[in-house]
Amino acid sequence: MLPAIPRRSEIIRAQQDRGGLVAAVLPIHYSRALLRAFDVLPVEVWGPPNVDASYGAAHLQPYVCSLVRNALSFLRTGGLDVVDVIVVPHACDSLQGLGSILIDFVRPSQPVIPLYLPRGMRESDIQFLAEEFRSVYRQLEDITHRSPSNADLMASIEREEAADALLAQLHQRRPQLALTQTEFYRLVRAREYLPAETCSELARAVLDGRPTDSPLQRAFNCQPDDSSSGNAAPTRNPPLKGEGIPILLSGIVPEPMSLFESIAEMGGVIVADDLACCGRRLYPPGKSKDAFLRMAEGLLGGPPDPMRGSPIQERLDHLLRLTRASGARGVVFYDVKFCEPELYDLPDLRRGLQEAGIPSATIEVDLNDPLSHQALTRIEAFLEMIA
Amino acid sequence: MSGRLVYHLNVSVLGRTFLRVQRWQAEQRGASGWKSQHLAPPLKISPRVKELVARHWLEARYANLHRKVAWVTSGAPVELLKALDYCVIYPENHAAICGTARVAVDMASEAENAGYSRDICSYARTDLGAMLSGKTPVGKLPKPDLLLACTNICQTVLFWYRVLARHFNAPLVLIDTPFVYYEKASEHAVEFVKRQLEEAVPVMERTAGRSLDERKLQEVGRLSRMASQLWMEIMQRNHHRPAPITAFDQFTQMAPVVELRGDAATVDLYAAMLKEVDERITRGIGAVKNERKRLLWDNLPIWYRLRYLAEFLGEHGVALVASTYTNAWGELTALIDPERPFESMARTYTYPILNRGTGHKLATMKRMIDEYHLDGAILHSDRSCKPYSIGQIDQRDRLIRDCGVPALLLEADHNDSRCYSEEPVANRLAAFVEMLG
Repeated sequence: MLPAIPRRSEIIRAQQDRGGLVAAVLPIHYSRALLRAFDVLPVEVWGPPNVDASYGAAHLQPYVCSLVRNALSFLRTGGLDVVDVIVVPHACDSLQGLGSILIDFVRPSQPVIPLYLPRGMRESDIQFLAEEFRSVYRQLEDITHRSPSNADLMASIEREEAADALLAQLHQRRPQLALTQTEFYRLVRAREYLPAETCSELARAVLDGRPTDSPLQRAFNCQPDDSSSGNAAPTRNPPLKGEGIPILLSGIVPEPMSLFESIAEMGGVIVADDLACCGRRLYPPGKSKDAFLRMAEGLLGGPPDPMRGSPIQERLDHLLRLTRASGARGVVFYDVKFCEPELYDLPDLRRGLQEAGIPSATIEVDLNDPLSHQALTRIEAFLEMIA
Repeated sequence: MSGRLVYHLNVSVLGRTFLRVQRWQAEQRGASGWKSQHLAPPLKISPRVKELVARHWLEARYANLHRKVAWVTSGAPVELLKALDYCVIYPENHAAICGTARVAVDMASEAENAGYSRDICSYARTDLGAMLSGKTPVGKLPKPDLLLACTNICQTVLFWYRVLARHFNAPLVLIDTPFVYYEKASEHAVEFVKRQLEEAVPVMERTAGRSLDERKLQEVGRLSRMASQLWMEIMQRNHHRPAPITAFDQFTQMAPVVELRGDAATVDLYAAMLKEVDERITRGIGAVKNERKRLLWDNLPIWYRLRYLAEFLGEHGVALVASTYTNAWGELTALIDPERPFESMARTYTYPILNRGTGHKLATMKRMIDEYHLDGAILHSDRSCKPYSIGQIDQRDRLIRDCGVPALLLEADHNDSRCYSEEPVANRLAAFVEMLG
């Protein structure tokens, strides 16, 4: 059973009540440890879904993905008023453009920190990313008037690495967990805003099969978080273990979260994922003693991702490994419309999977649309095909 | 017959002779070009440009027989490859040729049939279609021995070149140029680019089977700089009123500075072009005969409707005098220093307009409006080019507010005519021209 997860708003309030700062962080890759070392809590902004997109449309053309348009709309309608700083990692041309117009034209009241992510895993990429982190460090120094030492940074890194390791365990052991699919993703996506220590505590509780009663949760009188899923209520879908037609879910972000209930109702079960917000961020620990290098090593050592320039073959090999290890019978690519990094890889990935006897299906969504019957019918037909 | 012999027979003997005759015939016929009487004939040098570009594609067609071939992105540091004697192919230019020849949709459909979404760049779809089907208006595309992708124009090229690398099983060299959000790139970003350039050399040398000659690299750099300088001077002659050439002319004359940068022939060509442009100024010839208004164009051209747009505007006495796109191939000339090739390449290839913030592009447009005495701007909102297009809505608003000039956002796509609607475009252009007065 899923332990109660503090709500996003409660976590933000608690952080600010303690005198800490909050950063809104756009997708995908950044260093949580760096922000936390300055007592800045990263709260990620994946869209969010279902906002009035017209505010974003005042700055962005309709062929920009809904994730970016919604993020701008959310900001323009006051959704980010509560945060102290906005971090925009570079992932694609659209997020690059968003970062740029925030700095040049929209100019929110909070400082905007861009972060360029190199597109390789070469020694020069690691060195460059470490330098980028040093640059962010200096900007955070100016904002927070703090200067964490290397030891402070290392302590923060170790906390995050521990949380990442537990997150990886959750993914690996998901068939054995007594969680529904919705509960599982509510738990792992809580990493988008929970402090590492709270995440770790929740993850340990689930892995150990015991309820948690942390001081933090008691303080909040916690209810399950539903901020990212709109009106999703706790559901009693079949547990993950051993039930349903096993599939692997790839793509960017599983919104709306009711997707999981729909898949469960259709007899499917997600046994592994390659989602940008989840499985692609299972970072291994870094190795260096220098904090900045270590953060760079960890971030660039994550699973293959087109946003980090991973070759298509690496992605394919990764998907094949995941499907074999998890027993998935097929792959559903669940992508946000206009997402170029995903779209370029799809034909080769699907062909490669097909050649390995693994069928796949593609679904395109807009974050402002409810899950369409067309999409559900395609998933249902796909599940019937692979059953 | 050996490959080298086949190459020399087809290229040096037959092909070049044929192209020379074709050029001579075009020169004898006199410039044909626009159907509109409101436009001056194209430059007399146009057949020579055409011959140079056609010769490049002819040589490319047979290049696999005797040279190493590299496919590169348009903003890639080509000097290294030129110095190593690669035959360099620009898929983007090839796609533009397909767009102008109006075969791009047919080729893009081949890519779409293979699973590529219509939401990805139409240049990429055109070229992936050519790769998959073998269709091309240039005869035949040579297989690449090496791929060079530089992210200074977009991230799309990396996604695209990863597909090419897998298809051709060719090594992909990546020059990753961190986006410049502020006025200056950070020193660690420039150092990162320089290091990648240095690390790319052994890979390029290995494939080429020869070592990089530093003197040759300096010579190529010098020729690159001269070509860019001349190109910039040609464009800057449009400070003159009436403008001797339009941005439409520039779109069709820019191929050599993109794909033949670093060649002596390109320098000679642009020197001759500059001379002809100066003659036009001396004789008072304007590209638009009755130039009433002068405009700026932002973004890539709409390749398949160049003639229509040129004639429509020309008939209303409107000259498209400057373009941020063609300007990009000349504005960085000062950064090219052949004596310090790696340092200067690192800076030059970090600073293209597409790798800089939306505020920088606005500042560039404002400066161009001022320098070229422009009356307005057309911003092509190009569905296929997000890095160029994102920011245009705010840029348009600020041009109107800060410069007091009308600015139009025109929705289209640089290569996919299915994303272009003639009627709404005509209506919007007509209303815009009316507003110009």
